[in-house]
Parts: sequence; structure tokens; C-alpha cells
Amino acid sequence: MLWVDKYRPKSLDKVLVHEDVAQNLKKLVTEQDCPHLLFYGPSGSGKKTLIMALLRQMFGASAEKVKVENKTWKVDAGSRTIDLELTTLSSSHHVELNPSDAGFQDRYIVQEIIKEMAKNRPIDVKGKKGFKVLVLNEVDKLSREAQHSLRRTMEKYSASCRLILCCDSSSKVTEAVRSRCLNVRISAPKEDQIVKVLEFIGKKEGLQLPPGFAARIAEKSGRSLRRAILSFETCRVQQYPFTNNQVIPPMDWEEYVSEIAADIMKEQSPKRLFQVRGKLYELLVNCIPPEVILKRLLHELLKKLDSELKHEVCHWAAYYEHSMRLGQKAIFHIEAFVAKFMSIYKGFLIATFG
Amino acid sequence: MGKRETIVLSSSEDDGDCNDNDFASKSILKYFKQPKSGAASVPRTNTKGPIPKKARISSSRSHPGKSSNPFDEMKEFCEDFGEGFTGFKVSAGHKRDNKELWVDKYKPRSLLDLSVHKKKVEEIKIWLEERIKTKNNNHYNHVLVITGLPGVGKSATVEAIASHLGVTVYEWNTPTPTIWQEHIHTTNAGLRYMSKLDEFENFVEKIRKYGLISSSLTKEPQKKPFLILIDDLPVTNGKISYGRLQRCLHLLVQYVCVPTIILITDYGRSDTADYTSRCWEELQTSLQNAGAFKVAFNPITANSITKMLSRICREEKLKTKAEQIDAIAKASGGDIRNAITSLQYFNLKSNSKGIFVNSNCLDDGYSLSCGRDETLSLFHALGKFLHNKRETEKATTSDSLKEEFTRLPMKMDVPEKVLGQAHGQARPIADFLHENVLDFVEEEGIDDAWVVASYLSDADSLLASLNGIRSRSYEAENLIQSTAASVAVRGVMFGNRHPLSSRWHAIRRPVMWQVEQSQWRNKKEMIGERCVGGYNGVSLSDLSVIATEWKPVSKWLGGSMVDNNDCDLDHFEEICDDDDEIEDW
Repeated sequence: MLWVDKYRPKSLDKVLVHEDVAQNLKKLVTEQDCPHLLFYGPSGSGKKTLIMALLRQMFGASAEKVKVENKTWKVDAGSRTIDLELTTLSSSHHVELNPSDAGFQDRYIVQEIIKEMAKNRPIDVKGKKGFKVLVLNEVDKLSREAQHSLRRTMEKYSASCRLILCCDSSSKVTEAVRSRCLNVRISAPKEDQIVKVLEFIGKKEGLQLPPGFAARIAEKSGRSLRRAILSFETCRVQQYPFTNNQVIPPMDWEEYVSEIAADIMKEQSPKRLFQVRGKLYELLVNCIPPEVILKRLLHELLKKLDSELKHEVCHWAAYYEHSMRLGQKAIFHIEAFVAKFMSIYKGFLIATFG
Repeated sequence: MGKRETIVLSSSEDDGDCNDNDFASKSILKYFKQPKSGAASVPRTNTKGPIPKKARISSSRSHPGKSSNPFDEMKEFCEDFGEGFTGFKVSAGHKRDNKELWVDKYKPRSLLDLSVHKKKVEEIKIWLEERIKTKNNNHYNHVLVITGLPGVGKSATVEAIASHLGVTVYEWNTPTPTIWQEHIHTTNAGLRYMSKLDEFENFVEKIRKYGLISSSLTKEPQKKPFLILIDDLPVTNGKISYGRLQRCLHLLVQYVCVPTIILITDYGRSDTADYTSRCWEELQTSLQNAGAFKVAFNPITANSITKMLSRICREEKLKTKAEQIDAIAKASGGDIRNAITSLQYFNLKSNSKGIFVNSNCLDDGYSLSCGRDETLSLFHALGKFLHNKRETEKATTSDSLKEEFTRLPMKMDVPEKVLGQAHGQARPIADFLHENVLDFVEEEGIDDAWVVASYLSDADSLLASLNGIRSRSYEAENLIQSTAASVAVRGVMFGNRHPLSSRWHAIRRPVMWQVEQSQWRNKKEMIGERCVGGYNGVSLSDLSVIATEWKPVSKWLGGSMVDNNDCDLDHFEEICDDDDEIEDW
């Protein structure tokens, strides 16, 4: 088992970061009925961990006995029936699913399937909780239509079912949904918190950590705890005992993006733009989300950029990130950003060096 | 016979004129009798007694009072009618001098008459000469394939060259198609049905093995050179029969020892989505691979068509204006047969109604009620957009635009019109432009590249807005589609300020489609893997997290992740199986 899973805190009492949130959640479910919840925060901050711990708090250990189900749902959509394949993770008390997997058909999942699940009241064995919990991941990726139907579902079946929504950014969730939930913001853990966790794991695994090593990993992780633990384990596999100047292996796609950035800085021409497009395709094929690519690319470019250009470049990155969201094919927009950057940068080079 | 028919038409009028009170009864009788006489038992008896009809009519006219018995006259009329009927029928196949189709009348008789490009004619002529001179020489391949759009003169060229060289043409006669009732009838009669493809196969096998069968030849078969013309390949439907046709033609190409010419009509590239037309293309290449010599005819140039049409006008002594001829030539789209027919029709109209000729000057010259709609292939249109040819001089317009926004006038129709002609849909157009446009931007023009890219990005956003309103309003969808296409096309043309001089560029198929497919496949795979539990013990994780973190790390960590997979493995495989059905574009 990966360390990330192995050292995942199982109960709300054992969490190492966000203790305050955990305690509040515990109070919430023990003292009174639980409202709909919306967890949001950057990736790797511990949303899932908290949700799992919360479920355990609500239903006891049986919430951990889950089974994976891959089922094809037949949804009646007006004149035709649509087959939707959906993977769910369920225990006797909760169902977890990713409605956005269905792409543009996600509204059928929300309208029909979730309704179906929400309608069926669980057989209440101990008379403890009269509801079922639905955990919906990646709510921010849902289309607008799907979010609208989600709103209705939330109201209609609130007697028998609680929704726990989970997403990276609450800004992409509609107001209506947000206002129906108790919003729980999970911030990214601070670096010293990450160091604390890494040291805890190191102690449990019986590893010798050179001073400052955990801090380096934490710094590299970009305040993502999962990322930090993953690279910690990678380092362990690559070289042990740790040395202080050991290289922390970066993710391969990140290296690739920085390669692209270097290409862009080196030459600004349509031909180069075309080459860059090829490399971007490579990333997209590997399912790296285009937003992540764009963000990372901007990050890499800004590193090498003169400060007077930074503002403008950021502006355009934001502009094309927005149009990417409106649009359909990400490559059009990423490429437009790259072209714009090239054009700005070339103008700058000519102006300064003639 | 032909003469008679014209008289019948006038005769009924004459009768009406001279004999008013008879007319009513006659016309009633006409209605009664018409079907009977139409049943064609009358004409046969009539033709036996060849009384010149004119005489009879004049007799009826000169003695209107004498034929007191109306029944007689009625009978007479019926006969007239029946006769006229047959006369008409026969004359349909018969040639009359002034009402003949001009397409037949001005069929090229000699090589000089041909409007086809000289080189192509020469090529075919040389090919045929070689085959005739060196008889039974097996070094050569004896099959020539001529391809081209309809009406570019494939058959005419072959016939003209053959008559020039004194070669007899033996043509494969397409059997008449059997209709279902007929089929039932003949099978009841005990005859076996033979498909047209079977017949064709038999024919091909015969000429392949024995050359021409003697029975089909005239008395002195070997003296005169001959060639076999296959103009009308059997229509195939479906893969199996198409495969048979291909095989049989392939054999023909390889083994036949007499000169054979196969004509294949190309259909417009615009409907290549159609399976059959793709078949024809495949067939051509397979014939070429088998060693056949291929000559592809291009559409006839507007100039040659104009020349031909003016010649006809001269010979027919018509006063058709030069612009009109030009308009017809242009509208025909390189189809000379169509052009000639249009001309005939055009003049027919202008004779009967004078209005048509001198008025009706619409903005684009003459409004032609005939001719074909011009179509363009998608690639042709894309080429136009990408090459972005412009005039060298600025048109003198009142320039209210700033310098940086002005562009030289385009050397083509309005982009929207071109799009319409190419049946271009916004999405594929945008994809193709995106894929190819960078090849056409000059090396220094990164600013241009940005302008182009930004317009394409806008077009994409427009197209994406379709998703929400789909199936709600077609009109809105249409509007968005065409707007998006305009934005994409005009953006590309506006943005690319200094297009590269026209070198030869192959237009690529968008790589994006491929990328999307494999992305989709990978995504499905990840969704499948997610459930294995290898990545994230008890919870489903986001796809993006899997792609950006779990996957790369799993490469480093290798085997250590696999321990708790076994429980769900069979499940995983089941998911993988579904992945194969990837939609083929």
C-alpha cells in the first residue's frame, strides 16, 4: 500500500492537519442532523480524507466496507434512451461517484441516477441515521445544466439523503448549490504542517531523515500534502539512506512543460509554434487537464521572464484560460496563449536588444 | 414518319377552325377514344395503308359538309390521332433536322472538334496507336482507364480518336435492368435470373480469354483494328459485389490482349462521404496497380466551353450575347454537355419570350434558370482560404479604417459563399484551418500567428455554445454555426497579413482528431484503473489527480503499488474490454 493510503488518518480525531475543521465536523454530526456539505480547497489538502473520516464518524466502521461497482444505467432522455456507464464506490450507507465522468451527458446522471439513488431510503438497521450519503466528486467540472438539476435534487430529497460535494474551487459551483450547502473550506496545508506529517511518517517507517530534507520536499510539493508524501516515498525508493542534496524527482509531465517553456523562450516563430503544438498534444493525450497545463506553462514562463512583462502575460493567460472554459477544444486556446506570449516576448526582445 | 407527326399537331387546330359545331363532339370522343388508340393496335393497321395524311386532311377540309356522318369523321380523327401517336413515338429516336438535341448534333466528329485538352487527347491517341501497330504484343498492358467528371468528353474523345484512326469501337452493352415484377414473371417461367454483375463478369471473362468472339464481329474481323469500350460499369452495392467487380476488372487488366478502354465517371469530391464514390476511387487505384494506363480528364476550361458555344451560336445563327455565353460556360462547371444543353434551352426560351434576353440583368450578370450549381471540394475551399490570394493594388474605397486593419481585396468570392459551395461545416473547417494555417504564415509573422490563433479560439468558443442549446432551436444553431465558420475563415484570412507565396502545400488532416481519440481512450482506461483501488484505497480520486500525480509516481514506484489489486482484477478486465469500440471518424 502506498504511504498516502497507509498513513491516511481514519478518524476525525487522528488528523494531523486541519484539526479544527475535523473537530467542528465531529461536533456537527454527533450533536445534530448533518446538512449538505460542500468541501472545497486545492488538491492535496485533505478533502477526501476528511470526508472519509466523517463518514466513519457517522456510520462507524461499516462505512469503510466499500465495493466498486461499474454499472450501465439506462436513462430515458425524451425520445431515446441513453446508456451511461458509471463507476460507483458504495457501502451500505453511502455512494460515491464522479458525475463529471459522463462528460456532456452529466446532467442525465444528476437528474436520473442521483435521483434514483436519493429516492431509495436506506433500510435503517439501528435507527440511528435516517439518511443515506451521496458523495459527489469534482462538482466544479459539472456543466451548468447539471448543476441546476443538482439544485432541485438537493431540495426534493433532502429528507432521505445528504449530499457531500467535493471540488477544487467553489467559484465554479453555482451560487444556488453553494447556498444550499454548508461550505467547508479546506486550505492547503502550510509547509511546516507538511514537514510535521513527513516526519511522522518517517518515524513510523523507521527512516533517518537528514535535517532540512523534509522541508525541501515540502517546498517542492507546492503545499500539496499528497504530492509531498508521494515524492517522499519516491525518494525512499530511489535512494536510501537519504542524503541532503538528493534530487527530488519531479513529475514527468512537469519536466515536459518546462521543456516546452524553454522552447518558447528560445525562438518565436510560427514554425516553433507548430512544434509546441505537437508537444501540447502529447500532454493532452496523457490526459493532463488543459487548465493544469496552461497554469504550469505560465508558471514556467514567468520564472524566466522580465518583471515588466509579467503583468501582461498573466493577463493573457487568464484571458485564454477563461475562453478555454467557454470553448470546447483546449488546444485552440492554449495555442493562442503561446502565440500571444511569443508575440509579446519577441516585441520585447526587439525593443531591448534591437 | 417525322413529317407526319408535325402535321397532326396542326391538324386538330385546323379541324377546330373549320368545323366549330363538330369540335365539341370530337373533343369528347377524343377523350373517350384516346386510351384505346393509345393501346397501339390502331397504328399498326394504319401504317399498312399508307395514305398520305395531308391529303386526307385537305379532303376533310374541302368537303366539310359532305362527311355528314359524324361517326365517320370521328373514326377518321381517331386514326389520325393514333397515327400521330406512333409517329411521335418513333420520331423520338429519329433525328429531325431542326429540333435535334444540340449535344448530338454538335458531337465532335474529328479530333479538332474536341474541347478536351490537347495533351490528353494526344496521350490517348498515342496509346491507341501503339496498341494497334504492335498487335498481340504482350509487353504492353492493353487497358486504358479514363476518369473524369461527367460531361467532360470521355466517350466523345474515345469515339473521335477511334474514327480518326479508323478503329472500330465495340461497346459493352449494358443489359436492361430487371425490375421485380419482371423477375417474378421470368422465374415463374422457369428462366434463371442472372445478375447484371454476373453478365458483366461473363463478358469480361470472354474478352479476357478469347478477345472478341467471332459471332459478334463482321465478316472480316482481323483486318480492321478494333477496341473494346466499357463505358458503363455495373452498379455495385455493398462490399461483396464491389469486391467481385474489382477482382474481375483486375483480371481483365492483367490478361486482356485487345485494347480495352474503361471509362469511369468521377462524382464530385464533395460527396466522398458516400461509400460508393469511395469505392470508385479505390477501384481506379487498384486498376492502376494492375498496370492499367490512366488518363484523368479535368473539367473543361470555361474558355474552351465558350469557344464551343460561340461556334454553335454561329452555326445556328443565334444572336446570343457574349456575356450570356460566358455566364453559361461559367455555370456549367466544366461540364460541356450541360453547357450545350443549357444553351439550347436558353435560346428556346429567348425565342418564345423576348423578355428573357434583354432584361433580368441581376447583379451577377444574367440570371440563368439553367446550369448547375457550382460546388467546390472542401479541400479546394480550404486552399483558397489558406493561400489567401489578394490583389496587388488597393481598391479605391474611402478608407475609414486604420492602416493596420486594412487588407487588400480578396481574389475570390466572399468567404461565406465559398463555404456554402464547399458544404463546409464550421467544426471541421475550424479544425482543418487550425491544423494547417501555421504553414502559411511567414517565418517572421508571429504576430499574425497570434491574430489567427485568437480568432480560431473565438470560433471555438462560439461553437461550444452550441452544446447547451442543442435540439432546442435549429435556427439558432444554424446561425451560430455559420457565424463561427465566418469568424474562423475570416480570422484566418485577416490575420495572415503576409501569406507565404503559393508553394505547394499538402493539406493535412487535423491531428487533433487522433489526439482526441487517444485521449478519450486513455481517459477511459484511467477511469477503469481508478476502481481497482490501487491508487486510492477507499475513495475515488479525480481524474486529473490520477493523470498528474498517481501515474507519474507509479512509474517511479513500479511494483509496490500492485499489492492490493487482486480483489478486483477481473472486474478491471471487464472494463478494459469495452474500450475497444472507439468511434471511427
